[in-house]
Amino acid sequence: MEILAPFPEVTEAIAQVAGQTLRICIQCGTCTGLCPWNLVKRFSPREMIRLAQLGLEGFESEALWNCVTCNTCVQKCPRGVEIIDVVRSMRAIMNETGTIPASLKGPLGSLASRGNPWGGDRSERIKWSEGLEVPTYGPGTEYLLFTCCTQAYDPRNQKAARALVKVLKACGVNFGLGWDRESCCGDACRKLGGEELFLRLAQANVALFEEKEVRRILVASPHCLNAFRKDYKEVDGRLEVVHHSVLLANLLRQGRLELKKALHLKVTYHDPCYLGRHNGIYEPPRELIRAIPGVQLVEMKRNRDESLCCGGGGGGIWMEVPSGERFSKLRVAQAEETGAEVIVAACPYCVSMFEDAIKTTGRSESMRVMELSELLSEAIED
Amino acid sequence: MGERIGVYICHCGTNIAGKVRVSEVRDYVATLKDVVVARDYLFMCSDPGQELIEKDIPEHRLTRVVVASCSPRMHEITFRGAVKRGGLNPFRSFHMVCIREHCSWVTQDEDEATAKAKDLIRAAVNRVRFHKPLETVEYPVNPNVLIVGGGIAGMQAALDVAKAGYKAYLVERQPTIGGHMLQFDKTFPTLDCASCIGTPKMVSVAQSPNIELLTYSEVEEVSGFIGNYRVRVRKKARYVKPECTGCGECSNVCPIARPNEWDERLGQRKAIYRSFPQAVPVTFVIEKKDRGPCVQACPAGTNVQGYVALIGQGKNQEALRLIMEKLPLPGTLGRICPAPCEKVCRRGDLDEPLAIRELKRYAADQVDWENLPVPAIEPKKQRVAIVGSGPAGLSAAYFLALEGYRVTIFEALPVAGGMLRVGIPDYRLPPEVLEREIGYLRRLGVEIKLDSPIGAGHTLDDLFEEGYQAVYLATGAHRSAKLGIPGEETTGVIPATSFLKEVNLGSRPQIGPEVVVIGGGNVAVDAARSAMRLGASSVSILYRRTRAEMPAYPEEIEAAIEEGVRLEFLVAPVEVIAQDGKVKGLRCVRMELGEPDATGRRRPVPIPGSEFQVKADTVISAIGQVPDTRFLEGIKGLQVSGRGTVVVDPVTYETTKKGVFAGGDLVTGPATAVEAVAAGREAAISIHRYLRGLDLREGRPSKPSGQNWSEVSPEIPRRPRAKAITLPPDKRKDFSEVNLGLPREDASAEAQRCVSCGVCSECMECVSVCKAKAIDHKMEDEVVELEVGSIIVATGYDLMDPTPMTQFGYGKYPNVFTSLEFERLNNATGPTGGKILMRDQNGAFTRPPESVAILHCIGSRDVNYHEYCSRVCCMYALKFAHLIKDKLGHETQVYNFYIDLRCFGKGYEEFLKRVQDEGVMMIRGKAARVTDEALDDSEKGKLIVVAEDTLLGKLLRVPVDMVILCAAMEKRKDAEQVARTFGISIGRDGFFLEEHPKLEPVSTATSGVFIAGACQGPKDIPDTVAQAKAAASEALALSSYGRVSVSPTIAEIDPYICVGCQVCRGLCAYSAIEFDETRNVSVVNEAVCKGCGSCAAHCPSGAAKVKHFTDKQLFAEIDGLLERLRFGEAA
Repeated sequence: MEILAPFPEVTEAIAQVAGQTLRICIQCGTCTGLCPWNLVKRFSPREMIRLAQLGLEGFESEALWNCVTCNTCVQKCPRGVEIIDVVRSMRAIMNETGTIPASLKGPLGSLASRGNPWGGDRSERIKWSEGLEVPTYGPGTEYLLFTCCTQAYDPRNQKAARALVKVLKACGVNFGLGWDRESCCGDACRKLGGEELFLRLAQANVALFEEKEVRRILVASPHCLNAFRKDYKEVDGRLEVVHHSVLLANLLRQGRLELKKALHLKVTYHDPCYLGRHNGIYEPPRELIRAIPGVQLVEMKRNRDESLCCGGGGGGIWMEVPSGERFSKLRVAQAEETGAEVIVAACPYCVSMFEDAIKTTGRSESMRVMELSELLSEAIED
Repeated sequence: MGERIGVYICHCGTNIAGKVRVSEVRDYVATLKDVVVARDYLFMCSDPGQELIEKDIPEHRLTRVVVASCSPRMHEITFRGAVKRGGLNPFRSFHMVCIREHCSWVTQDEDEATAKAKDLIRAAVNRVRFHKPLETVEYPVNPNVLIVGGGIAGMQAALDVAKAGYKAYLVERQPTIGGHMLQFDKTFPTLDCASCIGTPKMVSVAQSPNIELLTYSEVEEVSGFIGNYRVRVRKKARYVKPECTGCGECSNVCPIARPNEWDERLGQRKAIYRSFPQAVPVTFVIEKKDRGPCVQACPAGTNVQGYVALIGQGKNQEALRLIMEKLPLPGTLGRICPAPCEKVCRRGDLDEPLAIRELKRYAADQVDWENLPVPAIEPKKQRVAIVGSGPAGLSAAYFLALEGYRVTIFEALPVAGGMLRVGIPDYRLPPEVLEREIGYLRRLGVEIKLDSPIGAGHTLDDLFEEGYQAVYLATGAHRSAKLGIPGEETTGVIPATSFLKEVNLGSRPQIGPEVVVIGGGNVAVDAARSAMRLGASSVSILYRRTRAEMPAYPEEIEAAIEEGVRLEFLVAPVEVIAQDGKVKGLRCVRMELGEPDATGRRRPVPIPGSEFQVKADTVISAIGQVPDTRFLEGIKGLQVSGRGTVVVDPVTYETTKKGVFAGGDLVTGPATAVEAVAAGREAAISIHRYLRGLDLREGRPSKPSGQNWSEVSPEIPRRPRAKAITLPPDKRKDFSEVNLGLPREDASAEAQRCVSCGVCSECMECVSVCKAKAIDHKMEDEVVELEVGSIIVATGYDLMDPTPMTQFGYGKYPNVFTSLEFERLNNATGPTGGKILMRDQNGAFTRPPESVAILHCIGSRDVNYHEYCSRVCCMYALKFAHLIKDKLGHETQVYNFYIDLRCFGKGYEEFLKRVQDEGVMMIRGKAARVTDEALDDSEKGKLIVVAEDTLLGKLLRVPVDMVILCAAMEKRKDAEQVARTFGISIGRDGFFLEEHPKLEPVSTATSGVFIAGACQGPKDIPDTVAQAKAAASEALALSSYGRVSVSPTIAEIDPYICVGCQVCRGLCAYSAIEFDETRNVSVVNEAVCKGCGSCAAHCPSGAAKVKHFTDKQLFAEIDGLLERLRFGEAA
């Protein structure tokens, strides 16, 4: 048997980043029991934390990059261990030594050089809105519609962005777009342990918002929402951020959003991790869906705080995951069980992941994925 | 009148009715003889159930009642109450049978359960008709409460009793109350300082007018019964009176250091000590055992341990003062004493005995005798004459002079000192040494008349006429014994005593070049060595036995050989060969050793035909001396023995003539100087008593005895015995002293080799500095009798000694500590003043550790030691971890090796989380071993703890500086004895057993004796205090109600049948049977009897019976049971 000696210095280093709570872990294993990875393969967050508690080699193994930061474990941890913070702290240690998976080098490099993880040109950041005649944010504009990198550069998600503009306009929301100088919110970057890079991105955005006197930000991605709400507090805490589902649900109640066109669809709603478990937003999207005439909303068995992650968070969207280990495939199968023909999501990652899963599992004929705005825009009379 | 019996069958919900078909049983019972009512009911114990009985009794004119339900242990009292309320005697008219535990719960088969229920009830109906009326008896209760053990449990119980207004006696074995809790530094999980919360309790106990505190005391015997106990308590001698102010000056001067038990032997305390500064009472205590073997062996009773201890501290004058309490000639005896003390010295068990004689000499030689203070003496008028100025005479003179008598010594010779002066050569005992000590006697007022023989010219009787009221005869044994061979009178044959006397008086006797000395004692060797110094060319000693039998001191023989004396063994002279009237030689014969003689030595026997000749110009005969009693010729009434010695009383040394005492060699024949000194002191005591008209025998000081000595720890480092400097043999040409004594630097080191057998050395230094005059070395144990109504035993626990678990290296590695040791290490009053420090190989504290491992479950949860969990270790281990981080800083690594973490109490889990958050490493896995074998550089100089992390399934080696073993809490070593004293049972775990684990947690098998705290099982402070309060509440219930009722179902002995054999008395576990001498019968003490039946079962005459369990009743019950066998199922 291999004989080991603990390395308290390593534990201390992890704690120093943001992993202080790893010390209070009592190794009960709740995290492992809840972790979606065990639906597809063996993975023990408990063991990873144990190794970190002793500063032992092993925590930095490939498994470290499994975590999709879905928050399932954190919200049930009896000890209050901030497991995601522990994971990103361990990843940060790996970043410092340059030992990260190959597939992450591209996105992180692009973030550093272009301010987005998708390798897109800065000049093309706002290109998705061409022809929509959306004004740029300026004095008197109420909301800055912050562009999610994925909606900016991924053609499938660009459709969702455009649909959102249509809905916002229909409600008469006073909003404007940003500028090419905008950078990624940095959520994935931070979750991947790119602590320094995250701070650079965040500081750049905050400086830009200050320059343009931005006060209210409207976001389409729950990841942007989470970053601005929580992570940016360390840089600037004055931002007011709202997810489109919340804003639109409010407008619906005020009667400003009118959904009159019947769609005759059976849909199911997938709770994105960062909207639901991370930010507690479960009902506004459902209110909106139910308000569409002819739409029947059915729930998957795992819904709300038990929702199954699409696998895209925490950098998962860039990981080389073998086909048989993708949560998105499990999720579309769960959606199928409900008999729904549409799976509605409210997060760009989920949209991408489910598009892929529907295609690769041969469900293209029976099922499609729609971003919430897309569904709403179809219910608006032209 | 016929009996009318009612039978009630309980369903107990489904507990009984689920198996027993109750309606069938009811119908069956209704058919039994005399049964007039038979009912079944869901819960007989409920109010409506009891009312059934109460109503039926008058309605159906019932005479007896049987209830069939659960165990009588549960509800017998309930139904007795119902029967009583119904108007019947609850014993005469009631019987209960158990059909739950005995029927429904022990079978799966309904038929079996139902049949057995019928049998039991039938038997009960048969039995109850023979019941007799009995009445419960009440006794008064003494409201006083005894609490045994002054730890936190005992203190709390005592305070609660006192607060209720009753008297509490608190008996504690240690010199202070406080117990283990006061050894701790902080308490978990609140981190209250143990002293801060403990000492106020101690002070309250001390100040409460209702609490009588008996510390340093132990309960020896308990008699009586609940409400009326008599308790005998031994208050051990503390040797310090309550006047002690606790100033501590005594400790500063005490020369004896001992391992400090309060500090778990990590540090040292003095023989006079106080456990810790806040001790209650503040009074110091002296640890004193039997006087050391050296003291007991010294004929003069010198306090050897005492003066050795003082020399060890460089207090030579004080040492000399102590020696001279018993011995007036320290420098002299420091040179020539045979030192019987050294032969019994227990340091010899370790390496070599202490050089005690040399130390005594050293002390005597360090002092300025001219200016040695003379004690204040109150002069008396009476005069005492002493005949002879040898050691016996000088000793008697000294002690009499100290008493104030006018003492005159009559010495026949022109010099004083007797044999010391004229028998022992100057190179062994320089005359100046003897003179300075005799000079001191003169300063005490002793008059010495030289050249003043007592005899024909100046008789003993004359002395009385001259006004001396008592005479002490100590003329020694100066006459040489005759060789008894032809030619003995030839010129050149000299008796050794004459020879040595001449030499010592300064003349140079004529000797030839060839000198032969005959004999084997010190005198022979002295003569031989003196002859060498006088210029003899050849000196031989002829001895008839071998060297092993020689009575001379080995070192003297050794020195003689060094100086050129030849020794011839197994040779005896047969005839002196003379030529021209002068010695020419000796005819000798060879000897061999035969059978042992009266002295135990093998008797020399001549070998026939082995004769040979030895050339000799001078022959010195040294074969022994005898007293010369010719000076007593003509004295009436003074008896002289056939051996030529004066006859005396062996205790008082009084001769057969009134007022005349004798001692020394004159009485014993040749013996040692120290024996003579001892005899002189005894005579002085006698004369002092004689002159005051007191009985000579009574009131004399007793000789110390006993063998209860301190242990000689095998851990004491070995050190050789110090050696005196001696003159090299080539320098020994004249009579200068050969032995030059111990060098100054060696003397105190040698003294410090003493193992302090008696612990307290009685050097009396403490007495001299105590301003309060509180010290009393003569104090004795005191036994007191207490009368109390109840007793609370709170004697606590011992920490397991982890030494046998060798895998953890305790006792081997200096930095493996027990938890209690660590508590002391961490405590401000501990050996390091509260600094957490490591130890070097010699046990000295050095620097703080950089890493510490805390090992849980050492001896707990381990079938090889204790199967149970000690319950407190997890929490104090976490406390230690916190305190280490707190005191030594965050960078100090702390590892806890645990199996499970049991943090069950209020605030405990939260404490765990806090400690984890502080960065303490928790390793789930019991440490398997601790080793210092390094596998690589990172482990060098460290203690490596090996354990599996069972969370990872990986083996760990954790190098640390310090290891703390959380050893098990275990029962006190003397728990069995304490349990016997108080009538408490002991559980499987060795702790005291409570009467019921849930419902009677503080009661014991003996009514009125309660238990509290860790003596009942491992527990933490909050649980201990809660139990103490519970026990106090039990005791107070008795005190406050003032009466106690005793069950009437007890034994009785019919005095008309009893034959007085007393078999029952030996059997009775409760000592409840007394013997009435006048009637010659055994009698049951009803208050003490528990009704167990041992006496009734064994009584050969059938006189002893237990009420309610008479033969008639039992046989009726058995008949009822057997009826089914006799008549088959139909019954």
